[in-house]
Amino acid sequence: MLIHETARTAWRSLAQNRLRTALTALGMIIGVTAVIAVLAIGEGAKASVEGRIRALGSNLLTVRPERAQGAVRSARVETLVRADADAIAELDGVEGVSPESTGTAQVKYREANLSSSIQGVTADFLPLRSLDVASGIGFSPDDDLGRARVAILGANVAYELFGDRSAIGERIQIAGNGFTVVGVLGAKGDVGFMSPDDMVLVPLGTHEGVLFGQSYLGAITVKVRSEGESEDVRERIGELLRLRHRLRADAPDDFEIRSQTEMLATMGAITGTFTALLGSVAAVSLLVGGIGIMNIMLVSVRERTREIGVRMAVGARRRDILLQFLVEAVVVSIFGGLVGIFLGWLAAFAIARFGGWETIIPTYAYGLALGVSIAIGIVFGVGPARRASTLDPVEALRQE
Amino acid sequence: MSLAHEPPTRAAQTPVVIEELRKIYHADRAELAVRAVDGISFRIERGESVAIVGPSGCGKSTLLHVLGCLDRPTSGRYFLEGRDVARLDEDERAAARNRHIGFVFQSFNLLPRMDAVENVELPLLYAGQRDTRARALRALERVGLADRAHHRPNELSGGQKQRVAIARALVTEPSIVLGDEPTGALDSRTGREVMELLGRLHAEGTTIVLVTHDLSVARSQDRVIRMRDGKIVGDGPAAAEIEAFVQENAGEIA
Ligand SMILES: Nc1ncnc2c1ncn2[C@@H]1O[C@H](COP(=O)(O)OP(=O)(O)O)[C@@H](O)[C@H]1O
Ligand SMILES: [Mg+2]
Repeated sequence: MLIHETARTAWRSLAQNRLRTALTALGMIIGVTAVIAVLAIGEGAKASVEGRIRALGSNLLTVRPERAQGAVRSARVETLVRADADAIAELDGVEGVSPESTGTAQVKYREANLSSSIQGVTADFLPLRSLDVASGIGFSPDDDLGRARVAILGANVAYELFGDRSAIGERIQIAGNGFTVVGVLGAKGDVGFMSPDDMVLVPLGTHEGVLFGQSYLGAITVKVRSEGESEDVRERIGELLRLRHRLRADAPDDFEIRSQTEMLATMGAITGTFTALLGSVAAVSLLVGGIGIMNIMLVSVRERTREIGVRMAVGARRRDILLQFLVEAVVVSIFGGLVGIFLGWLAAFAIARFGGWETIIPTYAYGLALGVSIAIGIVFGVGPARRASTLDPVEALRQE
Repeated sequence: MSLAHEPPTRAAQTPVVIEELRKIYHADRAELAVRAVDGISFRIERGESVAIVGPSGCGKSTLLHVLGCLDRPTSGRYFLEGRDVARLDEDERAAARNRHIGFVFQSFNLLPRMDAVENVELPLLYAGQRDTRARALRALERVGLADRAHHRPNELSGGQKQRVAIARALVTEPSIVLGDEPTGALDSRTGREVMELLGRLHAEGTTIVLVTHDLSVARSQDRVIRMRDGKIVGDGPAAAEIEAFVQENAGEIA
């Protein structure tokens, strides 16, 4: 039989059993929808990371302490101090520095209570990171020197503590110490870790002297005058710090310098890994969809045993029967794939619209979904089709 | 009358030649073995019409399935249009069913989701031919159902269904039409109509072999083969064999 006749036969048999066809395709539909949605979320996350890289520019360097070689894992990393930051600020090509200290503490306002990342920063932090307060004011150099008990809240922290009310001028407790809220940051809407939305900022002097009692820094952010100088400045900082830390020529660095771009690239890679992980979960549902097809095709072969016998009696070869059922399985799986693509597109749209996540369906996803659908139709259709094609004609005609 | 030593060249001129044909079910387990067809030989000439009669379970259907290349014999030889069927592979057997055999079943066996003309078209599609629709319509015309071409089986009466099935059997112009109790599911009037149709086709030159219970059906064929326990107990002109058959059964009842 000609292939288009086979396709027509398959199509008719499917069209005449709409409910069964829909149920057969259901697993595929769900699987493809999930895959498309996951890919769209992953691609959207990647795009938003890339957008942040562009927004930041690549002229920020981050200096972090590095655990000295040979030190035990849990050893405190205590290499960077404020004097290092002051020295870096004097280097050629450096436009600004922001020494930062990190810690975690309980933040309370009346009944509201949450554990938050507490960042010790100077007045230079906000401009350097291109951040700004949505209400209130930033820190002044005096806040730092005088260990003022003032705080700036990230947007999420402010919302959790105060809801829609204004936080400015209110008194909160950080690790049991009273602080006055002087500012609230504008929401960045970032997903991912270390988002400023989830931080509480306090003056660096206060962070060291009042809250955590340590004078070692978590990081120094350095703003380079122009992107082209980034590598030179990095080298200069390296030399300076090795000198200041009196490292011998054969000793490794006790610090690490990375550009903001590198850090975001790492985040991008992590996003990619997540996408791959979720994608594989979605792919498992495709497998389930394939098993669904196989299951219903087996039922269909059983139901239509007599039809198979009749077709054989009038001259169908085994391969004609095989092809007919295989084509049916593939048509169902392509149908499921197409509906899944459409629903995945809808889901991506809905996630962007109502979930606030950026979603982008990569063009390769359409081809992938369709290709995988066809492959699943073949892989899971071939078993039932073989069973149909190897039936004994006399037995098949006796059915029912 | 033994055909076992006839040279194959003569067999080539005859649509069907079988020699010492046997079909034994469960041949490997003696206590279960059923000798459904037990050493049958005959030949069917082109243009003949033959009725096979015999008590239920005597092996008529089994014999017909072997003749229709739906089933393989356990032993013996079968020449279809001069070709040794035992030597055909699966695909060639399918092609033989398609080209040389037209099967008519008691229960019609039309595909329920296809209309009449599509059912008739089916063998032509498997033959990979062109112009299938026009030829299917002509076959429907031959059985007088051109006006029902687009009716589905459930919209047709039993007699009409069997006529569609006959059109399907005829459409490839096979060497032989095999019918396993083709009137068995019909009332006597429609049964007669179907037999009239088969009679007309026979008059037009079609070779026909029918299994039947109905002596009036058997009587209207040229030749009758009587079977019992998988063996032929009589083979000759219809009138004589039917007389023998009636006497045999009368003796049994008495
Ligand atoms: N698939 C089978 N397995 C075992 N025995 C069978 C099978 N088909 C038919 N038979 C037996 O073979 C004998 C002949 O059956 P059949 O050809 O259908 O007889 P008829 O058509 O003359 O009534 C019967 O005894 C039947 O029970
Ligand atoms: Mg029978």
